[in-house]
Amino acid sequence: MTDRDEQITRILAPRSTAEQVSRRLFLKGGTVALFSTSVLLAACGSDDTTGDPGPSTGGSTGAPAELEDQLNFYHWAEYDDPKVFKQFTDEFGPTTKIDIYASNEEMIAKLSAAEGTSGYDIVVPTGVYIPQMATLGLLSELDLERLPNFSNLETQYTNQAWDPGNKYSVCKDWGSTGWIYDTTVIDGEINTWNDFIAAAQGPASGQTSVLDAPGDLAGIYFWANGIDWTTEEQADLDACGQFIVNDLAPHLKAFDSYPGIALTQGNYALSQVWNGDARQGLIAVGDKDPDRYKWGLGAPKTELWMDNWSILAEAQNVNAAYAWIDFILQPEISLKDLEFHGYNTGISGVKEAAEAADFPFLDMVFFDDAQVATFEPGAVNNATETLVKIWDDARAAAGA
Amino acid sequence: MSIDVTAGQQVRASSEAVPAKPRRDLTTLLFRIWAIAIYAFLFLPILIIVVYSFNRGRALLAWEGFGLDWYTTLPDNPVILDAITTSLKAAVGSAIIATVVGSLAGIGLARRPGRWVVVFMAIVFLVLVTPEIVDAIALLIWYVRIKGPFGPSNTLVNYGLVRLWMGHALFSTAVVTLIVRARLAGLDESLEEAGADLYAPPWRRFRQITLPLMLPAVLAGALLAFSLSLDNTIISTFVSVAGASPWPVYVFSALRSILRPEIAAVSTLMLLLTLLALSMVALVLRRGGDSAEDVAKTITGAG
Amino acid sequence: MKAPRFGLAIPAWVLFVLFFVIPVGFIAYYSFGYKPFFLTGRQLATDELSFGRYGEALSGTFLQTFRSTLQISVLGTLLCLVLGFPFAYWLAIRVDPRWRGLLLGIVIVPFWTNFLVRTIGWRILLSPEGPFWSILHTLGLRDDPLAVLDTRFAVQLGVVYNYLPLMILPLFVALDRLEPTLREASKDLGASRFKTLRQVTIPLAMPGIIAGTLLVFIPLSGDYITAAVLGGAKGNMVGRMVAAQFLTAQNWALGSAMAMALIAMIMLTVGVFAVIGLTARALARRSRRVVLTEVPA
Repeated sequence: MTDRDEQITRILAPRSTAEQVSRRLFLKGGTVALFSTSVLLAACGSDDTTGDPGPSTGGSTGAPAELEDQLNFYHWAEYDDPKVFKQFTDEFGPTTKIDIYASNEEMIAKLSAAEGTSGYDIVVPTGVYIPQMATLGLLSELDLERLPNFSNLETQYTNQAWDPGNKYSVCKDWGSTGWIYDTTVIDGEINTWNDFIAAAQGPASGQTSVLDAPGDLAGIYFWANGIDWTTEEQADLDACGQFIVNDLAPHLKAFDSYPGIALTQGNYALSQVWNGDARQGLIAVGDKDPDRYKWGLGAPKTELWMDNWSILAEAQNVNAAYAWIDFILQPEISLKDLEFHGYNTGISGVKEAAEAADFPFLDMVFFDDAQVATFEPGAVNNATETLVKIWDDARAAAGA
Repeated sequence: MSIDVTAGQQVRASSEAVPAKPRRDLTTLLFRIWAIAIYAFLFLPILIIVVYSFNRGRALLAWEGFGLDWYTTLPDNPVILDAITTSLKAAVGSAIIATVVGSLAGIGLARRPGRWVVVFMAIVFLVLVTPEIVDAIALLIWYVRIKGPFGPSNTLVNYGLVRLWMGHALFSTAVVTLIVRARLAGLDESLEEAGADLYAPPWRRFRQITLPLMLPAVLAGALLAFSLSLDNTIISTFVSVAGASPWPVYVFSALRSILRPEIAAVSTLMLLLTLLALSMVALVLRRGGDSAEDVAKTITGAG
Repeated sequence: MKAPRFGLAIPAWVLFVLFFVIPVGFIAYYSFGYKPFFLTGRQLATDELSFGRYGEALSGTFLQTFRSTLQISVLGTLLCLVLGFPFAYWLAIRVDPRWRGLLLGIVIVPFWTNFLVRTIGWRILLSPEGPFWSILHTLGLRDDPLAVLDTRFAVQLGVVYNYLPLMILPLFVALDRLEPTLREASKDLGASRFKTLRQVTIPLAMPGIIAGTLLVFIPLSGDYITAAVLGGAKGNMVGRMVAAQFLTAQNWALGSAMAMALIAMIMLTVGVFAVIGLTARALARRSRRVVLTEVPA
């Protein structure tokens, strides 16, 4: 007898069996209702434990304002030590919630589409995007009086061209771009971007990854050919597009902004990478295979990027936001964070402290003046749209 | 073309039940091998995730020894716990919405067809055909436009949760509608008419005839809506709001940066919990009189 | 007293109109706009409407990507069908009814893990020096690291994996509903097993086959996450392009135009296959037509 036949029989059956039907119904329906209600209740219940009414404990910076219960970050991944977050909560009260984005463009798109309803308080934009965000009205103007530890930053990392007077941002850390390569696959050394390209088209063809960012991708061509990577000249942009899409893209294995951590799996023979990420990768393979991979800083020219703390105009937890920024600008906390992410935080004395604490691979974190002279900050300008198109076309060409 | 009856072939009356004879021939063996291969294929990555959840290392993909480290640190990880609870809340809410709305629509389609059916089915078809990315963007822009319960002014419920509920319910409702409609369409309305002839009022007819008939489909739809919501990544990524990011959004972000074994640990735990919940539901249904086959069919929506 | 004609479906109407028709309608409207000069910061301007974005959208890159996406989704659907049908047949027809439900349930269990996590599982398995390679290496079969990850093959594999249960379920339901007596009758009339399969089982299971095919093909065409996880650069699907227009390029007009184009192209593809299928069926029916000649008086 089929399912349906059974059902019909029961329904047309005499009263006693009909009662069986309703009991069964109750059991089924009741169980489902019970199950979902209990799940819902459990879910709601666990939520209540995190709401600490944060008393203004004053902390080490003596913030007088009453701090809110919560602080919402819209942040990069793996960019701050979870222990630092925990310490902040323990000392100040607000619990921290972090949501992640993978690129500045994505962050700006989401925030501007949300038109103030996103619910985030702190965001970490890369410097060159700040003017655009300010025009869009996304960022609130900082009251530097509320950040006494601002003076801990070395002056060369304040007052940048894209945010004069630090109206909207405070330096979180800064870094650069280079490469990391597998010495068992590539003979010889990679000292310049042209070497990088030659390797990508040669021994590392099909095993190369580049950063998943339009500016950095185009940068490979510009830096290799001595052109200013913020150029808006159509001829330069066309040449760049031609090269990237036709000569480089077919050799790419992936567009990966975090290849460092993939080092342990041997995924790529050659990667364009940010210095802190490369450092994390080298630390990870350090025990097993210390000499297999080599890092190189981009040459003759490369990028200077700076990531910053900004408070969103829509922020609900403003006091907590200021407390956090002030907290992280303390030298001891900054050092702790540096140990985690491996980028120069720009605080005075942090270099000496890191050396004293004997962190590994410090040459990848702190750069000397000669090196810094080769770093070029980027820009968001008329060329940006073209660069994004080049990146999109490169992805299509690589995937063909 | 003429029908060829091979001489000497005994024509068996179809009413005579053929005993289920296990044919131990090559075909059966091949079938079984194929089935085992499929099962192995389906379970391989799950197994690997469970194994790698015991990975000591800092990165999920790099095995560094066996240990329970990541399980023990889970309670201290508020971000993950938040993501899971958000996912569960979103799933329950959207499943309820999808099931109720979809079932009603399914009944309407099956029992009260009219000219409106064409337009309605066209919309349902469009909902199913539209790529999720289009839904995601459209919803985000729309939510921001109408604000209301989807904006910060909503003080009753977390507005991020409301966004997730409606966003997930969209596709799920279409699916539930189709499932319920299919189930009811296959069943004669004469049963309900018989009930009417026996003087049962409409509500009673619904409760005692229609509802039990379509209950397996409704349950299947509810379970499907629940699991679709748990899995929903693209829409969730776009519409989610601070503090209301579901689990897949967390995993997706981790994927684009660094994966940690804790994700595998959480997944293993969730798998165990799901199996547990399913067994409980199966047990109750079984107690209620369904055969094992019915139970499994209900759960998998194949009933 | 019957309920109003469409009354029961009113909540559904409200839901779909409010959360689908209107929002996607806006997207359609945006597709005629354009992106204003970037320094204004805004992503969209609709004061001047034109078809310009469609021209851009239907350019080389988009079409090229759609073509390769289509390759992946068509091949993926076919593979799901080929892999899933024998399994569904076995489960619905060859397995003892007592065990059917349980075995079917086991198929669904992997589905209850988050699909991203399942895909990550494949990433681990296929990684160059991961478990698969370790096994092969220990057996002495392979020295070089595996080169499967971040290739088209990996994408195809991942896609088939994630959508196989969606194919198996409708196939099982259709085959399960099949009256066994029909197949028996066919055999009693002398048809070989294969002929029974071809002329009785498959045509009767056709609704299930179609349902499964659609259930797999359509979401697969818009999906880009599996490809992103397993395919690296080779995993460029058209859904990602649309997302990138909104996220990276911040060109909502172009993204909207691409989105509309994508919907249209998916529907077109389904339409084309439907026409092919209907034609094939009509031809098959014609060849099987029984012509009854008049019996001479």
